[in-house]
Amino acid sequence: MIEIKDLKKVYGGAVVVNVPELRIYKGESVGLVGNNGAGKTTLFRMILDLIRPDTGLVSSNGENVAGHENWKNYTASYLDEGFLIDYLTPEEYFYFIGGLHQQSRPHVDDFLAGLTDFFNGEILKKGKYIRDLSKGNQCKVGVASCLLQNPELLMLDEPFANIDPSTQFRLKSILKELNKNRGVTTLISSHDLNHITDVCDRVLLMEKGIIIKDIATSSSTLNELEEYFGVGQIEPEKIGGTA
Amino acid sequence: MTSTFLRHELKAFWRSKNTGKSIAVRIVMALLILYFLVIISVIGFSLDKFLEKAAGSEMMVTYCGIILLYYLTDLFTRLQLQDLPTLRVQPYLQLPVKRNSLVRYLAFTALFSVFNLWPFLLFVPFVFKVIAPVSGGLVTLAFVVSIAGLTVFNNYLALYIKRKANLNGWVFLIAAAAVILIGLSDFMWHLFSIRNFSYLFFGGLIHHPVLAIAPLLLGVAMYYLNFLYLKDNLYLEELGSRKASKYKNSTDYPLLNIFGNIGDLVGNEIKLIFRNKRSRSAFIMGLFIMFYGLMFYTNPKMNAEGYKVFVSMFMTGIFIINYGQFMYSWQASHFDGLLVSKIKFVDFLKAKYLLFTIISTFFLLLTTPYAYFGWKTLVIEIIMYLWNIGVNATIVLFFANRNYKRMDLSKGAAFNWEGIGSNQWILSLPLLITPYIIYGPLALLHYANTGLALLGLIGLTGVLTRGFWIKKLEADFYNKRYTIAEGFRNR
Repeated sequence: MIEIKDLKKVYGGAVVVNVPELRIYKGESVGLVGNNGAGKTTLFRMILDLIRPDTGLVSSNGENVAGHENWKNYTASYLDEGFLIDYLTPEEYFYFIGGLHQQSRPHVDDFLAGLTDFFNGEILKKGKYIRDLSKGNQCKVGVASCLLQNPELLMLDEPFANIDPSTQFRLKSILKELNKNRGVTTLISSHDLNHITDVCDRVLLMEKGIIIKDIATSSSTLNELEEYFGVGQIEPEKIGGTA
Repeated sequence: MTSTFLRHELKAFWRSKNTGKSIAVRIVMALLILYFLVIISVIGFSLDKFLEKAAGSEMMVTYCGIILLYYLTDLFTRLQLQDLPTLRVQPYLQLPVKRNSLVRYLAFTALFSVFNLWPFLLFVPFVFKVIAPVSGGLVTLAFVVSIAGLTVFNNYLALYIKRKANLNGWVFLIAAAAVILIGLSDFMWHLFSIRNFSYLFFGGLIHHPVLAIAPLLLGVAMYYLNFLYLKDNLYLEELGSRKASKYKNSTDYPLLNIFGNIGDLVGNEIKLIFRNKRSRSAFIMGLFIMFYGLMFYTNPKMNAEGYKVFVSMFMTGIFIINYGQFMYSWQASHFDGLLVSKIKFVDFLKAKYLLFTIISTFFLLLTTPYAYFGWKTLVIEIIMYLWNIGVNATIVLFFANRNYKRMDLSKGAAFNWEGIGSNQWILSLPLLITPYIIYGPLALLHYANTGLALLGLIGLTGVLTRGFWIKKLEADFYNKRYTIAEGFRNR
């Protein structure tokens, strides 16, 4: 589905992303973790052709994303509020996105009806522009508009960051359902290790622009990740005195 | 504190994405200002000679008479050209910075405008050369103080109106109409005489220098009004979008549906214009330009065809000039979203052209009553309309590909004043000059009609060859889009 070769981006002498090779296959669910500044968002932006790489290329379905627009037909993404047209009402925005994919308004309405739980009554028919919604609710609009596009590839950057716990769980089950039952390839970044190991079959760990670990999720993955991120943490055994 | 703010502003200027463009604008500005300063100084220093020649022994009466008249014109010019001082206040609000010092900075830096220099250069030399030797020091002081007071008053009145106008474009329309009406009721309808009134005051000043307190008080009061207004809005800004607001309806423009996706894009942009204060003001100020015809055509001296070309281009193209030159910054906050969604850039461009065409057509329809001043007026209007949608639209979009500066529409409009004032007009100079490069020489050689025909033909060709230009712009955009997107992400 996605193939990355020799991808490199340098900002002011510092290497932000350096990925010699990465393949993401159709139907995979991939999680991306790493501390701030590890290069997750930059990598996402290069996959979406929002930033020009210094070297290398990203191809989607065998076609370079830069200079082509075919990938837009099957890729849905939400990185931040900059993806939303903030002076529209959520309904208008959904109709607009649906219209781009040749969906009629009743179709969009039908689809949105299926998301009632996820919206929790805070999005539709509230008479607010998107800019007046809270960050968490904006995130819901962004994710919903992604789902509306019936994508083959779904990319979300820290979708769990601003939403409430109930919505986090609902979003997790939606993502799992999409991946397992409908074969949607998902690429998700998050700081929440529990969520990411729960949702994803494969976890990529980034540090200073480099993918240092590429793990197939298993029962030990969470521990492995916690060990990496818990740098310098005092281990519980030492506090208790006994092992 | 003020010096810190100034330093931050300087940093913001130098580190901005558009520094190159801003510097170019500033250099042109500086040259223009220098030119006017020289002219005004010359007039100011020889005002006594001029007046002696024109009025003889009535010199004093004439001098006192024109002062207020000057301030009326001054107000009108300021309304259109004076820049509002800017400072992004939000980052300072939660810091231990006194609100008053923030507001004082904004209110105070407003005094550093060349507009405030002009009256001194124009009127004060006369005071020292003619009034001081006859009436003595106290009266001289009274004159200088009055001129200073009126200048400060005008300065803050213009800024106050402009700030209000930013929130509500109608304020500008009403204020400008009021100034025009005052002017007309003197010169056209002779209801009252500003000159007599002005003489009444300044003539009185010679016998009662104490009167100088009145303009001084006016100036101080206006400053204070500004200060309070800014302070209030600082508070509003802080509360910002949390304000309870009325239910926002979803709207739809069924007529645009015939254009499919492009129509959707245009619909969105129309919503952008009317749902954001700043863009809405840009549109309403465009309505104000519709009066230009009245101002020019009623004046026999300015009813020539050369003026009509200018006025017609302005009236039918004001939206392209005014709104277009900030493209695509209007959409900066969601530009990433546009880039990744299923929108072909060709459609994006076509939507821009369609928007320009729709709104210019609307303005053309509004100006058709000017046919009253001769059928040729209408012909010229149509020719310039074609020029606008055929040539200017493409030029504006060409520059849009080179605009990397983010504009945050969702942030409170009360402190979002960039590009409202003279800077903006300088950027549009190339748009205003180009038709004259073609029409001017031909008109001078008495082939004015050929010139008009040529303008119309070029405009029409531009419209018919749009497909070609769209391709060119698209190719250009592919090279620039990363820089544009990065600039727009740059808060």
